[in-house]
Amino acid sequence: MTHAMEITREAVAGGLERARYVTNERVTMAIYLALALEKPLLIEGPAGAGKTEVAKVIAEMLPSELIRLQCYEGLDEARALYEWNYQKQLLRLQADEDQGLSWEQVSEHIFSREYLLERPLLKAITSVRKAVLLIDEIDKADEEFEAFLLELLSDFQVSVPELGTLKARARPVVVLTSNRARELSEALRRRCLHLFIDFPGVEQERRIIELKVPELDQRLAAEVARFAGAIRKLGLRKPPSIAETLDWARALVRLGVRELDSEAVRAALGVLLKHEDDRAKVESKAASLATRSR
Amino acid sequence: MNKLGDSLLAFIGELRAAGIGISVAESIDAMNAVTAAGLERGPLREALAASLIKDEADREAFDGAFARFFGAPSRARGIHPVQRGQAESAAGGRALPGETPIAAQPAKPRAEAGRPQEKISDASKLPAAQGPSHEQRDQVEGSAESGDTHEREDEPSDRRSTEFGPGIEAARVARMRTLERTPFERYSDLEYDEAREALAPLVRRFRIRLGRRLSAAKAGRIDFRRTIRAATQRGGVLIDLRRRARRRRHLDLVILADVSRSVRHAAGLMLELIAGASGCFRRVSAFAYVDHLAEASFEQGHLVTSPALDLYARSDFGRVLAELWERRTGLLTRSTLVVIMGDGRNNRRPARADMLREIARLCRGVVWLNPEDVARWGTGDSAIEQYARWVDALLPARDLHELQAAMLRVA
Repeated sequence: MTHAMEITREAVAGGLERARYVTNERVTMAIYLALALEKPLLIEGPAGAGKTEVAKVIAEMLPSELIRLQCYEGLDEARALYEWNYQKQLLRLQADEDQGLSWEQVSEHIFSREYLLERPLLKAITSVRKAVLLIDEIDKADEEFEAFLLELLSDFQVSVPELGTLKARARPVVVLTSNRARELSEALRRRCLHLFIDFPGVEQERRIIELKVPELDQRLAAEVARFAGAIRKLGLRKPPSIAETLDWARALVRLGVRELDSEAVRAALGVLLKHEDDRAKVESKAASLATRSR
Repeated sequence: MNKLGDSLLAFIGELRAAGIGISVAESIDAMNAVTAAGLERGPLREALAASLIKDEADREAFDGAFARFFGAPSRARGIHPVQRGQAESAAGGRALPGETPIAAQPAKPRAEAGRPQEKISDASKLPAAQGPSHEQRDQVEGSAESGDTHEREDEPSDRRSTEFGPGIEAARVARMRTLERTPFERYSDLEYDEAREALAPLVRRFRIRLGRRLSAAKAGRIDFRRTIRAATQRGGVLIDLRRRARRRRHLDLVILADVSRSVRHAAGLMLELIAGASGCFRRVSAFAYVDHLAEASFEQGHLVTSPALDLYARSDFGRVLAELWERRTGLLTRSTLVVIMGDGRNNRRPARADMLREIARLCRGVVWLNPEDVARWGTGDSAIEQYARWVDALLPARDLHELQAAMLRVA
């Protein structure tokens, strides 16, 4: 196991590069500050711009374990923090039935850590080594859950009534992502550092493609990046994400495309666009986009 | 507090003046961030942005304030040689190197220009303990020149990124913000269409909160019979608790929306908001009115009323109430919530507030949403105060933001 890395700006920039994450100064700085100040990092931006990737890259860089909590409507404490292992407790009670234990003895036993099911948040808090906690798509969770997160985010501790307050042994690196399906509360924003990740510029995306799909011809990579940037501006229902651009680049390699003409664009457009009307829109403009991208 | 702290506080004050809410905790974060990031211009900007700006919509205001406060190389590039000379001489003059960008501000006729200037003259007197450490200072001094070129390399890439794709999302968010605060009465048709598009996430949130409020506690009561039955499968051990399916609270909704010229935007948006959440209610009956009642529904995004309403007729809510009263059988019950959207301007026709009283007596509740400015309630031909006596709540709903808040309170 490698030694835990020292937190300096250069180290973070280098670490991101080693983790093969192409980015800009804004992102590097936000990650560095989140690590240096031990504050949660709230990342917003359109879907597919690489928000979740940041947490994965931090985990890879440090290196440390990535604990992921996917939020959804109706997510509650039992799913996110902890739950008593009810079945196990009952079995224990049944097994102890004829031993004639006093109530105190029984309750002390069945409310111990052994009967606690750790969910992601508790796991991140109790982890001996610094963990990276990714709370993904916090905007999908209910507002109550957001309020519940506040204690965790500001003090890195949680209260379990039967056990008392559990404080983090090593403060986890917390990364929250949001797609703005709803507005997050000011209280949550106040506790976090904020980072907005937009789709990458053409140059940045070209570097990403070259790094992740090295088999693609360099000139073609630039054209792909330019094309992806151009169609994101068309106001599609779902603009292509970076991952989809990469898939498309891989598809072009597989198809043996040498030149990004309208024929080549049409061939594998399904990889890039996931709505029929988006597809129709782009196909009608494919010729002009492809030529412009040269 | 040292000089750097002072100037940061002044900067934060400027941001607050620009309407960006910054808490004390956040300003402390910003100080820590600057300590961690150093005083080079680029990192300084990003560090302050990450700790102070919590919404991309505010980023533009931040960039503007930063440029004003800490010097603006991008805008001043035309007079670059002069500026650079100034910056270098300032750096050479033993000023705190990190603050050279401030010196790069060529005595602008701005109010705060005086402050940074005097800071520089003081900077050399600063004890080392308060400023950055010596290594840091050397390092920054060494990179002052390279930082300058770096800045210029940055510019084109910034410009590129605005040309392609990025920024679209942020601009949309900012636009939404202003739209949310624009009073309905000032809406143009274009803005109305935009607001309708923006309604989608709103409807979703509304539905979620409503659904939760209307359903009983998540875990219903324990169903004893089914629990025992499940236990027999495990030799009589009570392992799985079976619960009764939760019962829905029934709520019928009757909406009366004034669609006359004066308030039609507000009414349209509200009807759409409720249409999206209709699944949460047992029954929703929507009515639009001007001078008489008509059933309203949405067909392909357009408000359709039957019978058709004359949008230019003079509002007569008294008559509308009487018509509603005639239809009361089966429509108004103990589980009905009546939501009225209108300005209560009756063109001096009989208000018939007594009808509203009777209706309120019959129903679970009556809520009135008024899209008019609060100050104008009850003035001129407004009969709102006569009605206000009989409704359970009278809420303002002047813009999209207030409408949201009011709708959630209703539910």
